Amino acid sequence: MAGKTKLELGYGDQVTSVTVNVPDGEPRPWDASDQLRVVGEPVPRIDGALKVSGKARFTHDIAVPDLLHAAVLRSPWPCAVIKRIDLAPARTQPGVEAVFAVAAVGDKLIFAGQDIAAVAATRPSLAKAALAAIVVEYEPQPFVVDTRAAMHAKAVQVHDAAVDEQRTGADEPGAEQASGKLSGNVRPGRSQKRGDAKRALNQAKLSFEATYETQCHTHSALETHGIVVRWDKPTQATIWASTQSIFSVRDEFAAIFGLEPSKVQVISKFVGGGFGAKFGANAPGSAIAKIAGELARQAGKPVKLMLDRVEEQLCTGNRPDSIQTVKLGGDAKGKLTAIHVQAYGSAGIGTGAGVGRNASAVYTKVDHVLVESADVFTHAGPAVAFRAPGHPQGAFAIESALDEFAREFGVDPIDLRLAHDGHPVRRWQLELGRERFNWDARRQAAADMRARQTRIRRGVGCAVSIWGDFGGTDARVTLELRRDGTIKVKNGLQDIGGGIGTIMAQIVAEVFVRPLGSITIEIGDSTLGPGVGSGGSKTTASIAPAVRNAAELAKSELAKVAAKALDVSSTKNLVWTHEGVSLGRQKIGWGELCKRISGESIVTIGTRSRTFAAHPRAFPGFTAPEIAGVQFAEVEVDTWTGEVRCTQILAVHDCGRVMNELTVRSQINGGVILGVGYALMEQRIMDPSLGVMLNPNLEQYKACGAKDVPAIDVLLTEVASGNNSTGAYGIGEPATIPTAAAIANAVGDALGVHVRSLPITPAKILEVLATQGSK
Amino acid sequence: MDRVPHDRAGPSRAGRQVLRRARDDTFGYPGRGMSESPSKARGLTRRGLFRSIGSATLVAGCVKQDPPTEPPDPRPPALDEAFGLTPARLEFVLDGQPIETEAEARTTLLSLLRDELGKPSTKLVCDRGACGACMVLVDGVPRNSCMLLAHDVAGAAVTTVAGLAPGDALSPLQLAFVEHDALQCGFCTSGMLISSSALLEQGQARALTRAQVADAIAGNLCRCGTYPHVIDAVLAVAHGQAPGERNGTELIRLRAPAPTNRKQGR
Repeated sequence: MAGKTKLELGYGDQVTSVTVNVPDGEPRPWDASDQLRVVGEPVPRIDGALKVSGKARFTHDIAVPDLLHAAVLRSPWPCAVIKRIDLAPARTQPGVEAVFAVAAVGDKLIFAGQDIAAVAATRPSLAKAALAAIVVEYEPQPFVVDTRAAMHAKAVQVHDAAVDEQRTGADEPGAEQASGKLSGNVRPGRSQKRGDAKRALNQAKLSFEATYETQCHTHSALETHGIVVRWDKPTQATIWASTQSIFSVRDEFAAIFGLEPSKVQVISKFVGGGFGAKFGANAPGSAIAKIAGELARQAGKPVKLMLDRVEEQLCTGNRPDSIQTVKLGGDAKGKLTAIHVQAYGSAGIGTGAGVGRNASAVYTKVDHVLVESADVFTHAGPAVAFRAPGHPQGAFAIESALDEFAREFGVDPIDLRLAHDGHPVRRWQLELGRERFNWDARRQAAADMRARQTRIRRGVGCAVSIWGDFGGTDARVTLELRRDGTIKVKNGLQDIGGGIGTIMAQIVAEVFVRPLGSITIEIGDSTLGPGVGSGGSKTTASIAPAVRNAAELAKSELAKVAAKALDVSSTKNLVWTHEGVSLGRQKIGWGELCKRISGESIVTIGTRSRTFAAHPRAFPGFTAPEIAGVQFAEVEVDTWTGEVRCTQILAVHDCGRVMNELTVRSQINGGVILGVGYALMEQRIMDPSLGVMLNPNLEQYKACGAKDVPAIDVLLTEVASGNNSTGAYGIGEPATIPTAAAIANAVGDALGVHVRSLPITPAKILEVLATQGSK
Repeated sequence: MDRVPHDRAGPSRAGRQVLRRARDDTFGYPGRGMSESPSKARGLTRRGLFRSIGSATLVAGCVKQDPPTEPPDPRPPALDEAFGLTPARLEFVLDGQPIETEAEARTTLLSLLRDELGKPSTKLVCDRGACGACMVLVDGVPRNSCMLLAHDVAGAAVTTVAGLAPGDALSPLQLAFVEHDALQCGFCTSGMLISSSALLEQGQARALTRAQVADAIAGNLCRCGTYPHVIDAVLAVAHGQAPGERNGTELIRLRAPAPTNRKQGR
């Protein structure tokens, strides 16, 4: 079914017929008129039993014969030159079978935690102990770890030469190239422009300006980065990796060692979290694949290198901090005419300090926009994409600025957003939330508490998100429909916790009208066929249509077998049911039908074409849907202690067609909970005098615990966009973008003044109250 | 004051001589060394070594003008249960099975489970008691296995997730976890199950509130955000909910209405 097709597209009560050009080979896409039986239901994960029984094997759990364990010696200095390295004493330590120098004499090390050398030994404790025998002499150099300090013209310069931007599959697809000229430690990055913001600001009747700051945020996945390398031949290797992208591991490992990618098998059946940091074979700040590969080669035995918790926090990436000056300009009636954001952020020695798209692409009714960002280099571990890179930082600043503008000029924050945001779904979400969150009543209550200066205050706030459907065409899904009636689906992608395997099974069950138990899904191995990296929230959008397409191809082949069995010439009017296939009075059971498959099985390979529609609105620069989300937050603030508790979040999200109600709920919970931690508690702390991280652990780096979680209500505003054959797109990142911004706005409502820096700690609350009190 | 002729900071010369001899020998502990090298005339056992060091330092410490910190004891200290630097025998019960193994004194229970006993279901995340991923039950009490030495569980019954139900079966709580999607990547799941199982065993299950369950899992860190669903799962079991019954906070799906109900042109 291809060519111009009329589809029922839209959302809520805004559904219309839209003509879409469906590419050749694609089945008729599921649209608003399709009522599905299995897809969209709250189906429990098919691999759930393996996880709760402890049988699931993560990279950390892999054991192979003769396995050696590696440990890495790391620089203790924020900046130093190596004067001497002597690995010889380590070679003779108990259990050591290989040693490898990553750095050399004369190298300049530029962050505390950088790789120096590594050993492989028969036990992890022996490898760690052997590191102490390595002799290294350092000549410490001046350093800078504070972002503001690094921005000074006279600051110690981190990089001597031009720095290229590093991007991974987790970075926002299509984000502008960050390619500016290095000046001191400052290097211009992404910018977006519309109209002439500076001139419009000069002419504005109303204006507002404030500077907002966000902290460095670490991924803190529970399973650390790790890899197991086994050389099967000098030119062939098997790798187990904790990764979000099996093929990125394969390709980088092959490149490092000069191998044919097809000679490298990468296995990742279960992954203990990634959040953007686990792309590629090496870690963002540590060459773990190179190290493990070299040690394994030397020793002639497989080597496992799992980073410990300190290393994980130090050198596997982070979300850059930010210092954002936001200027808003408006006309006398309160309509915004200009937005200017000037952002600086430190990604340590790396690049990546952008601020997302809230300012540039949400408020499209603001005619003049300029967003400028710049990287500031410091002697700290390099950043890497972290769940919606740039967006939570940017959303916090612009959404806070809008609320402060609204407060100053007497406008309701929701009304201010509605006046400048043209996305119909987001506008609907704002209205829905206003009603369901009891917005007006709660705002009034907050005003009362402010007036009475109560000790405990409550406040509400909202913020929005923008993301895109970045589903791609790389996947090749193999489907085997066997004579015994079972179905097996294979692909080389990985499940990092989103539950993609279950969604794949649901789709197959839907197409064939078969029970889930008769379907096996095999993923997590590069030999299973080209997959897709789990970044950009594009996994479901990339895989689901390819699975459906493989299933539909197999179904049409099986239909021919059925037609023959029922002795009819056309497959057109066949009816597929739980029992089998029927036509009028005639029917044939599924089991009997499959026995008639000639050969062992019907095998099809499914792919998907490029996204072919974007109803109602396309993401800027793409012909794919723009994904809308809005979150509302309520907080409770104790004005005596400064403690802030987020008591409730209402998350209103569009993820196209919901594939699985249970797992989408989990994704949204996860995004919200991460956002709560980012808003109130998490912060990487660098010691400015020693240049080292003070909290590379999980008790002083304060991630959200069970008692910090608000009540989370979810409203799914499904949209039939016509984008692909299943209507699916992503949710993982959209769900975390607006959370901290909404919480910050709620704090602003509770206090009558905003805290302009994350995390919003008790100290900051008390400080802002003191400043307010002294006015 | 007389100059003290020996180095108080380290073993006395006599002690050092004893140590040097000892390194050449097979260290023994009850049941091994002695029988393995009966021909070695010196046959120095760990017990004997410590006795020698003990007396050597005691002798060295008795200098005339030094007030002794405690009266010299002619009897050497009882060292039968002491551990040295070599693995010592360890017996305990793991998931219902008796375990006889050996472990160095410094080995954590977590390391023993993962590296020696092939039980990788217990996860290593922080190795310092901050995250709860390594929790196991020790005589029914949830403990961070990274904060216990292997020898701390001698004679105790240790339970991992594999032991929450007999054989290959899954406990009602494990099934509820799957039913309520109380897991995402799965890395914290083992610890969550251990904390929650202990809570349910405490009794008063029917009256459990969300806040009480949150207290019980307060020491289990999850980065994926499973907390709300973990609480749902635990309460489902506590309140005797049938599988398939789901509670939890509101989730509403606003779908386009079916074609027959839809008004035209709106």
